[in-house]
Amino acid sequence: MSETYDFLFKFLVIGNAGTGKSCLLHQFIEKRFKDDSNHTIGVEFGSKIISVVNKSVKLQIWDTAGQERFRSVTRSYYRGAAGALLVYDITSRETYNALTNWLTDARMLASQNIVIILCGNKKDLDADREVTFLEASRFAQENELMFLETSALTGENVEEAFVQCARKILNKIESGELDPERMGSGIQYGDAALRQLRSPRRAQAESVQECGC
Amino acid sequence: MAEAEPSSGQKNDDQLFSFSNTSLKQRITQKHADQHATSDTTLIFQTFDSVNGTYEEDRISMSSQDSGIPTLEINPPEHIHARATTAERVIPPHDDKPATLNLEISEGSLIKASTFPRCDFDFVRLHAPNGLSSAACKGTLNRSDDFSVCSVSSLSTEFSTTLSVSNEDFLDFMVTSESSAVVTFENEDALNRFDHSLSPPSDFHKKLSSPQRPSVEISTPKETRSKTPAPLISFFHRNLPAKPEEEAQKHRQEYEEMVAQAKKRELKEAQKRKKQLEDRCKLEESIGNAALTWSQEILPNWQSMCSSKRVRDLWWQGLPPSVRGKVWSLAIGNDLNITDELYNICLSRAKEKWNTFVASTSAAETDAQDAGLSLADREASLELIKLDISRTFPHLCIFQEGGPYHDVLHSILGAYTCYRPDVGYVQGMSFIAAVLILNMDTADAFIAFTNLLNKPCQMAFYRVDHSLMLTYFAAFEVFFEENLPKLFAHFKENNLSSDIYLIDWIFTLYSKSLPLDIACRVWDVFCRDGEEFLFRTALGILRLYEDILTHMDFIHIAQFLTRLPDDISADEIFSSVTTVNMNCRNKRWPQVLQSLLKGQDRSSPLLKR
Repeated sequence: MSETYDFLFKFLVIGNAGTGKSCLLHQFIEKRFKDDSNHTIGVEFGSKIISVVNKSVKLQIWDTAGQERFRSVTRSYYRGAAGALLVYDITSRETYNALTNWLTDARMLASQNIVIILCGNKKDLDADREVTFLEASRFAQENELMFLETSALTGENVEEAFVQCARKILNKIESGELDPERMGSGIQYGDAALRQLRSPRRAQAESVQECGC
Repeated sequence: MAEAEPSSGQKNDDQLFSFSNTSLKQRITQKHADQHATSDTTLIFQTFDSVNGTYEEDRISMSSQDSGIPTLEINPPEHIHARATTAERVIPPHDDKPATLNLEISEGSLIKASTFPRCDFDFVRLHAPNGLSSAACKGTLNRSDDFSVCSVSSLSTEFSTTLSVSNEDFLDFMVTSESSAVVTFENEDALNRFDHSLSPPSDFHKKLSSPQRPSVEISTPKETRSKTPAPLISFFHRNLPAKPEEEAQKHRQEYEEMVAQAKKRELKEAQKRKKQLEDRCKLEESIGNAALTWSQEILPNWQSMCSSKRVRDLWWQGLPPSVRGKVWSLAIGNDLNITDELYNICLSRAKEKWNTFVASTSAAETDAQDAGLSLADREASLELIKLDISRTFPHLCIFQEGGPYHDVLHSILGAYTCYRPDVGYVQGMSFIAAVLILNMDTADAFIAFTNLLNKPCQMAFYRVDHSLMLTYFAAFEVFFEENLPKLFAHFKENNLSSDIYLIDWIFTLYSKSLPLDIACRVWDVFCRDGEEFLFRTALGILRLYEDILTHMDFIHIAQFLTRLPDDISADEIFSSVTTVNMNCRNKRWPQVLQSLLKGQDRSSPLLKR
């Protein structure tokens, strides 16, 4: 592929069935709401190159099936994810109550340093709200998650959710908290990054190839 | 009014009417000046409504173009008398010499009698705002069989007219037909039915007959107006200077080219249409024949015939929709001995559950927390059914809330959760139930649904027995490597395991990922050959797109396979599937699967991490 990017991040979209995971992904990539969407069986994919703090980052997004029953299948896709959107539906307390389970899975199975952003989706349906911004925000703080309320319908905060998550990962890389070269980090160098790395300052990085993870 | 009686040989001369008349031109100019007329011509179509005895009018304005020759395109309806006149009233054609414009009706022309339910007499009035007859200007009457240039549909006629005016020094009046560039009838039947009178505008209510072109007649209605000029033809001949031979030659040539092109186009179109029609007829005939064979020969003798080579071959070609449900039911069988009664029992139990669930949502929630996840999952699956039904074939708009099959789908899925509470509802089931509902009635669909899900492969998947699923994927990969070693290696290189695309395909039996008609054909053979065919189809798809896939990286392959192209064709897939070899080192699918099940080697070559 002739795409150039500095980094490739593996992203997950997880959360209960019907919370709008696929619609968030579709809105993020196509910039419009998918009103005749099917439910996801297994996993679907999306990818997009975004620009974050002067770096172009390719997001490789794994949009997983939400039904509890598929957990055993979708768990196998968590491995090596650098970031995740944890989605619940603000009009359904049930989807909010399930967050702990999703979170445990993600922390356990994806990379240890996985950056997770909590997304309270269907923000446009404020009249039917069952989960307040405040309590979700508190939950996010307690669990060290970023938090946004999003609307896949209107597109509000959708791009922001992906971008903020990617920015946090980049910050972690810069601060050294995250090592992209560690196996299972969910991060790969793109061609552009490789070129930079081949600069004299880090000549030894020549050996770094796109790590297959 | 011009009546051209021509054959293709004559057409060159017959269709070109050159009116050279200086005085006419002067008159035109005068009129132009007098009436500040624009070069726009307004066509007024008057439709005589025989029921109400009124005229309906449609006006279409057209600008003349400098370059192209303005055209008057006429799609004749049945029994239409078209007249060009500036007068408001319509003048009947001359009795002796009916101003008849006979138009050839080509084979493929659209003659819809029903389109003209009320117009015994439809009048097309050509009206130039400057008071001039449009026909006095350079114009081409051009009949198109297939489509009208103007929006004439509103006239309830297929008589379409384009007319415009050019300011050239001489005035040509041309009547052409796209069919043959000859305004004539070749269809005898049509000749009787199609009587198109195009009478000249009142300005030209004179006889127009050219000595060189004897077949052309312009009839003059009896009723003429005072300002009507002398008989048209003599009028032109007397008063207009002869067209220079060179110029006439040039125009004739141009005209011939136009005609030739139009004819070529027409011929091509006609051939295409004919081919399409033939193909469709052939297809319909073969479907009809197959349906007959299935319903009269095979189905009555199912047990003895179902495994014969002839039936299997016919089966491979796709089941006719009329017998599809029946054949599926027979092929899936009913090992579980489900009866209509059992379905009704399950359904009523499901309804009870829904009612109590709805009544005590809050109570169920606290119970669920006490009883742990499994109960929550059970209850959630009731909610999930509702949610997923609306997300099942959303584009068909028949399973959604308010759609005709919404309740049926809901009932079958609900009844199944009562029949197999240990399995419950699993995403993907709604697609299977929906496809069955589309092909059989409710109770039969339920019987087929339960028996289908009871097959080993489907049970493994719908119980989400992950290790058993991995065994299936491993078996698939054995045949994948055997059939497509290069692509297999490429996938391995990109860490793309087969579960990524197979899960969706196997769970929904391709009904979500392939267009529905192709999915049904896969189901046909799946009913014949069993689970093996699902994996064979997967290999067929991979083979079909092998060249594209080998040039893609992980994310593009994953995206491609989880969202197959819409324009995928059944023939391509099936011919690709035919080439898949389901025999690996003398082992067929069941043996490979068995040996993988026995040997604890359950993880696939790719999934081994």
